[in-house]
Amino acid sequence: MIFKRLKNKYATIIIILSILLIFCIGLFATIGTANIKVADTFKIIFSRFPYIGDMVDISGVSDSYKTIILNIRLPRVLLGVLVGASLASAGTAFQGMFKNPMADPYVIGISSGAALGASIAIISGIEINFLGIPSISFFAFLGSIITVFTVYFISKVKGKVPSTTLLLSGIALGQFFTAIMSFLMVLYTKDMEKIIFWTLGSFSGKGWEPLIRITIPTIISIVFLNFFARDLNIILTGEESARSLGVEVEKVKIYILILSSFMTSMVVSVSGIIGFVGLIIPHIVRLIVGPDHRILLPASALVGGIFMIFTDTIARTIISPTEIPVGIITALFGGPFFIYLLRKKKREI
Amino acid sequence: MNYALEVEKLSFAYRKQLVLKEISFFIEKGQFISIIGPNGSGKSTLLKNLSNVYNPESGFIKIYSKDIKKYRTKELAKNISLVPQDTTISYDFTVFDVVLMGRFPYLDRFKKENEEDFKIVTEALKKTNTFHLRNRNINEISGGERQRVIIARALAQESEIIFLDEPTSHLDINHQIDLLNLLKQLNEEKGTTIILVIHDINLACRYSDKIILMDKGEIVSKGTPIEVVTRKNIEKAYGLNVIVEQNPYTDSLYIVPLSLNSGIDQNKKKDKKIHVIAGGGTSGEILSKLEEKGYDISVGVVNVGDSDWQLAKKLSLDIVDERPFSAISEESFKKNMESIEKSDVVILSSIPYGEGNLKNLEAAYNGLKMEKKVYLVNNYTKYDKFDYTEGEGLKILESMKKDGLIIINSIDQFTKEG
Repeated sequence: MIFKRLKNKYATIIIILSILLIFCIGLFATIGTANIKVADTFKIIFSRFPYIGDMVDISGVSDSYKTIILNIRLPRVLLGVLVGASLASAGTAFQGMFKNPMADPYVIGISSGAALGASIAIISGIEINFLGIPSISFFAFLGSIITVFTVYFISKVKGKVPSTTLLLSGIALGQFFTAIMSFLMVLYTKDMEKIIFWTLGSFSGKGWEPLIRITIPTIISIVFLNFFARDLNIILTGEESARSLGVEVEKVKIYILILSSFMTSMVVSVSGIIGFVGLIIPHIVRLIVGPDHRILLPASALVGGIFMIFTDTIARTIISPTEIPVGIITALFGGPFFIYLLRKKKREI
Repeated sequence: MNYALEVEKLSFAYRKQLVLKEISFFIEKGQFISIIGPNGSGKSTLLKNLSNVYNPESGFIKIYSKDIKKYRTKELAKNISLVPQDTTISYDFTVFDVVLMGRFPYLDRFKKENEEDFKIVTEALKKTNTFHLRNRNINEISGGERQRVIIARALAQESEIIFLDEPTSHLDINHQIDLLNLLKQLNEEKGTTIILVIHDINLACRYSDKIILMDKGEIVSKGTPIEVVTRKNIEKAYGLNVIVEQNPYTDSLYIVPLSLNSGIDQNKKKDKKIHVIAGGGTSGEILSKLEEKGYDISVGVVNVGDSDWQLAKKLSLDIVDERPFSAISEESFKKNMESIEKSDVVILSSIPYGEGNLKNLEAAYNGLKMEKKVYLVNNYTKYDKFDYTEGEGLKILESMKKDGLIIINSIDQFTKEG
């Protein structure tokens, strides 16, 4: 029957994308100034796995390569995967929830809110450790959650969130927060460099520590977000219908807002603001797999991860040895894409 | 009692403006209910309150004797389903996926649909005759098909009450009938309670067990079509003059709109009294056009059952009538003369005359003698012969012409001149 075929189709897509992601991790960890072979990269990685590690022979690989791969490239690539997956998942959820193709954590100002929160934490030097989350991440979360609810309530007109009000209020609030952040930078010049980093977004020089810190919270929230796939599908067919079908629309929206803001602020607190990933990826994936969030959400997460490490590789190799902040690369892809979407939408109207 | 739905003193406000005012009614299980009323009467708002899309300002809604607020959202969705007015879905879901969404209330967040769900969806598709569309995209199919798919989704929801918000408004006449037949079939076979908002009063009469007529946020009338769809109620709610008839083909009521109350020229014409001498179905056009212009009309002498009599009855005109198939008696003649005396103008329609109704022509002549303006709407050319009184009728008519009878070719000539 068709549903069986459908399930198999979804499983196939996930498996293919997962394999592709693993391959890309290996590939992009290899590319760079040091001349390492892809096969060696995989050997180095696998040698660190329990059980299978003993079977991998890495005697032929130089120790400096091992250090580069294990201590620099691998954590960087994995962090990229996590950031990309989170931003793409949040973007997918926002676009579904707002029934609006323009929604993404960056465009609607969440990233700016998170960066402002993080800046305040840096400047004030407050050290609170809330549930094991360091204060920078906690403040980033606070900033993003305040932003998302403010934007949501400003742009809500008669129970709907139209594109124009959503974009305008998101941009306005985002700019407002960025202005406050700039002001803080002027006041606290000693932290300026640290703060500028938030506005550009980069993965450089992070090592394992931040990665380990955000892995579990982000993965859990991505998984939880997927449990709302069916609700999102029904919300897409109209909110009146959704309510009558037993979806607690307002509650679901709030859960999704919190989950998405949470994962966004987690990754932003480590990587800084990286725009447009949450906008482009859901679109491209939707074109390929259709609007069903049961496949759209996981596929977007995987493709988001791949896209992120791809752009990061460009960022650090294109004018090597100088590194460009990855946010610039995504914006170079995203800007034109955003304009294309606006044009397309205009034509539809 | 076996009530599917009980509504008590339900009020709802929209931006502080009361849209529903203390509405109360009951709906029995397994009935087919239409909610009708003019635009802005609050009928769609009522439906949205009943289907839990809006939360009422005050009052109670009970579904199967339990307060609607006490249901969990999913529990409620197992009991009621809604087919919204706008069924467009602008995403590429397949028809099957859309209908499968009807299973949502039965699914745990962490559980997947099982064989049973697929079976129910397949049945719903077959029942609504949309099974062949199952792999098509929802926004590729026609409006009528999409309505059916959304009804299939409501069926997959397995609720015993289905609300529909103007399901026929975007459909062609054939699809309207098709859709209502489907709903009636569900209603009859599965005992599903159908509650719908509909614009078309005639369709409402044809399919519904009960009708709720609303205006300005209140119920004007509720009950069977015969009880609700009356000339008086429709005039009250819609400000429209109608004729309510029994449709001889479907045996249901139907209305024929005549004129809007607001369209009546309120100025001078209203106080002009006109007596129409009618009979033999010759005055249909005259009566309805005069009524439309707002004249005060009386009719005489007509036999009971004559189509002129029927129309005059429906228009609630003053009638001087005579027993069916009987000649005009002296008594009716006198009454007719009284009516003529009270009138400013007498209009004589093109009645064929026999011994039985010659008195009508005499009455008209008397009117002329009383210096009333008498018009003859001349349609006699239609007849081979209109005088069956061996010349007597013709003779009277000739002398009337000499005495100032005004002959016009149609009633429009009169109404234009005023």
